[in-house]
Amino acid sequence: MPSAASTTVRILIGGLTLLVAVGYKNYRDLGAPGKRPNLDNNEYWGPQLKGAYQENKAIRPYDISVAPELIADLKTQLERPLKVHDPLEGIGFEYGFNSNELKKVVKYWRDDYLPNWSKREEFLKKFQHFQTEIQGLKIHFIHAKPTNAKGKKVVPLLLMHGWPGTVREFYDFIPLLTKGSDKSEYVFEVIAPSLPGYGWSQGASRPGMGVAQVAVIMRNLMLRLGFDKFLIQGGDWGSIIGSNLASLFPENTVGYHSNMCNNNSPMGHLRMLLSSIIPSFYIDSQYAQYYGGIGKIFITLLEEFGYAHIQATKPDTIGAALTHNPVGLAAYILEKFSTWTNPAYKNLKDGGLTKYFTYDQLLDNIMIYYVTNSITTSVRLYSESMGKAQQDLNVDSVPVKAPVACARFAHEIFHVPDSVLANKFPNLIQSTHYPDGGHFPAFQVPEQLYADFVSFVQKALKSN
Amino acid sequence: MKCLVIFGLIVAIFASIAGYGYLVFTDLTRPLPRPAFKDDTYWGPGDGKNYKPDTKIYDFVVDVPKAEIQDLRQQLNRTLRLTEPLEGIAFEYGFNTNALAQFVEYWRDKYLTKWNQRQDYLNSLKQYKTEIQGLNIHFIHERVSEEVAEKKHVYPLLLLHGWPGSVREFYDFIPMLVKDQNISDYAFDVVAPSLVGYGWSDAATRVGFNAAEMATVMRNLMLRLGHKKFFVQGGDWGSIIGSNLATLYPENVLGYHSNMCVLNTPLSILKGIYTHYYPEKVLRSRMFYDHHVGIWEKYQDLLIESGYFHIQATKPDTIGAALDSSPVALAAYILEKFQTCTSPSLKQDFGAIVTIFGLEAVLDNLMIYYLNNAATTAARFYAENTSKTYRDLQLDRVQTDVPMGCCRFRFDLPSASEWQLKDKFTNIKHNMYFQHGSHFAAMEMPSMLFNDFNEFVKKIGLHTE
Repeated sequence: MPSAASTTVRILIGGLTLLVAVGYKNYRDLGAPGKRPNLDNNEYWGPQLKGAYQENKAIRPYDISVAPELIADLKTQLERPLKVHDPLEGIGFEYGFNSNELKKVVKYWRDDYLPNWSKREEFLKKFQHFQTEIQGLKIHFIHAKPTNAKGKKVVPLLLMHGWPGTVREFYDFIPLLTKGSDKSEYVFEVIAPSLPGYGWSQGASRPGMGVAQVAVIMRNLMLRLGFDKFLIQGGDWGSIIGSNLASLFPENTVGYHSNMCNNNSPMGHLRMLLSSIIPSFYIDSQYAQYYGGIGKIFITLLEEFGYAHIQATKPDTIGAALTHNPVGLAAYILEKFSTWTNPAYKNLKDGGLTKYFTYDQLLDNIMIYYVTNSITTSVRLYSESMGKAQQDLNVDSVPVKAPVACARFAHEIFHVPDSVLANKFPNLIQSTHYPDGGHFPAFQVPEQLYADFVSFVQKALKSN
Repeated sequence: MKCLVIFGLIVAIFASIAGYGYLVFTDLTRPLPRPAFKDDTYWGPGDGKNYKPDTKIYDFVVDVPKAEIQDLRQQLNRTLRLTEPLEGIAFEYGFNTNALAQFVEYWRDKYLTKWNQRQDYLNSLKQYKTEIQGLNIHFIHERVSEEVAEKKHVYPLLLLHGWPGSVREFYDFIPMLVKDQNISDYAFDVVAPSLVGYGWSDAATRVGFNAAEMATVMRNLMLRLGHKKFFVQGGDWGSIIGSNLATLYPENVLGYHSNMCVLNTPLSILKGIYTHYYPEKVLRSRMFYDHHVGIWEKYQDLLIESGYFHIQATKPDTIGAALDSSPVALAAYILEKFQTCTSPSLKQDFGAIVTIFGLEAVLDNLMIYYLNNAATTAARFYAENTSKTYRDLQLDRVQTDVPMGCCRFRFDLPSASEWQLKDKFTNIKHNMYFQHGSHFAAMEMPSMLFNDFNEFVKKIGLHTE
């Protein structure tokens, strides 16, 4: 037997075995639960003080009324001739917000919405608004108690919005949660805060407030209100903060429901890659069309994430550009309500804005950003959460022990399959798919989200 | 015997993988033929069926109605509700809002008060408009005087700006090019247009006006002015358009000089990575290393600075609406680039813009965007140049033997080395490295750019001594 060839073969086989073994060990290590990072539960985020910080723990009703001068100034600005360019011939929303649609929105805002502002303000006040100080920041929240608790079990629920949303997204969702129905033996006491730096919640004065730190604030808010154990529901940043909260504070988390489930741990990324190469292994064929894999994610990142890129790197530039710039703010924010509700709306001249939403609804949301002047602090969440400091915390690798539900609405930006979520959500007890709806289900299809949510709660609390 | 077969099989598998890899590699890196390009596409409004080109050249003067300046002053006088920067932060999160407030105040109270002087200054260079392919093109045209023409070899020069620049970048550079000097035997008839969609030039109203179309319009502009053969100089988009001119219309280009030499081909990227690891094998001098080594940090920096590129390439009408609606918005967005394009040591410095550029020059440039409402149309250029249509042209893989010159300012975007450039530019005459300077070279160091450009022209050897 020629020894050189046989030796070579032996070496090659030996090397391959070693590679497989090392690879397997790394794969196992990759999926091992990460260590919960140490976070300061009392970190101070307010402006610099001369002396020691004395937290004011009072919970005060909050008046969201807007100064008439602000409305008058806004009207004056909207009366200026619009300096926009006609869209390129034949173009809908492929180049961004179509200026013909923008003209319509601005006209409605000026001639219909603003003259009716007192009614809108009254509508926004239909829930009880409060403010309390947490870690140096005045945090605003809606507190909606069950309207009909007879024969029902009351569970506290922390409801969190994202960007470019506000608590306004929940105005049709909250009544479903507090009224209860024969769909569920549970009814909810809802705490819907404005995220720090959004709406009527103060933004941080110092760098470092990323999603993990916001999760700490939100948990402290619930403790302040006397809720030691609670449910969490969220989409967009609300989902990510919720995931952080559930990971960091399992003792407080009864259950976590998200309409934008994601797994940013190294194992999650690896499985995402594998699920793109061998989808049949990782994805239920029944729902194959929901999952575009890493290719779709990559294309989506390129085509739709310019805003996130600039917000993560130059938040103060884009923030300054949108501050006190109602027309700019409207274009920038409403573009997302078009494309994220359904990416196919990019081909429409009006962006499909009014297919599910009214101008009043959309403008309510914009007004909250505008009157609170929170656009800059809102976009800073991107730079704070996407930097190395946040990554180093590696909360992504800390699994969520509580029961979890993932609701997937078809036209969301992208979806992550259950198998890819496994190491982050080992207790995933509900996974659903809906052929309609997009990124803002509470806003767009509140009944569906409610039904999905109570179905989850039923399972989650029964198992306790 | 079995071992030999297995051995042979393994070798065969590796050989076929290697062979296939080689085929893929050569397919991705070989030069491509020059594409045919339609040089008379109508870009004006409507379908152009009854289009009769107006070939007259009209005088142009910047003459802004007083009411517009008044209105701008009023807009700048609204109460700014800018958010305070985070504690201890200068420009790390973008343009500092305290600095922005100061700029707005200066703009309103000092700059606009002497607007007539600024306007006169802008008009100190002769300007014109003419219609090319349905679009009115604005341009500066400064000719060498008769005296100078007697002493120098005179050639036409097409000077191309980029984003967020304008013809204003060239106001110190142009006088150097037309006058008598003792640096070289050359002087230049300078044509400096506002790009289509920028400054006082019209914008395209249809999809597809990319850097190849821009090169075509610019070449036709030069032909309209009677300049059949000309030099091209540019940075930023100007450099890319110049490269396209040298590629699509080599018969018209005497020489192409760039102060932002980039080449985005697979081979160039591979070579760039190799240069990072083995600079001594690629670069002639240690003085060149800093420009090419540290490539991962450079890409990271690029990622941090390219949010604007990403949003303009995908949602130009959205960001355009925001910037066209508010002079403060425009200021923050554009000033950020002037702030960062100074040097690493000045990037966080509140005096950077004043030190490197001067307030008047930067505000002149800002006014050109503001007065012409150009933010949206300027941003659309990014979308057109990242479109599949443009990428399919693959112009960076088409070779040209037009004489090429490259100078690299130290803190500009990462540049390509000669080793990278020569895969496209087969006739590189001049290759320079500066240890200072950044992106807006003509504004920041016009003398150095002028000297370098003349060096390049000399080396082409159009006139043997």
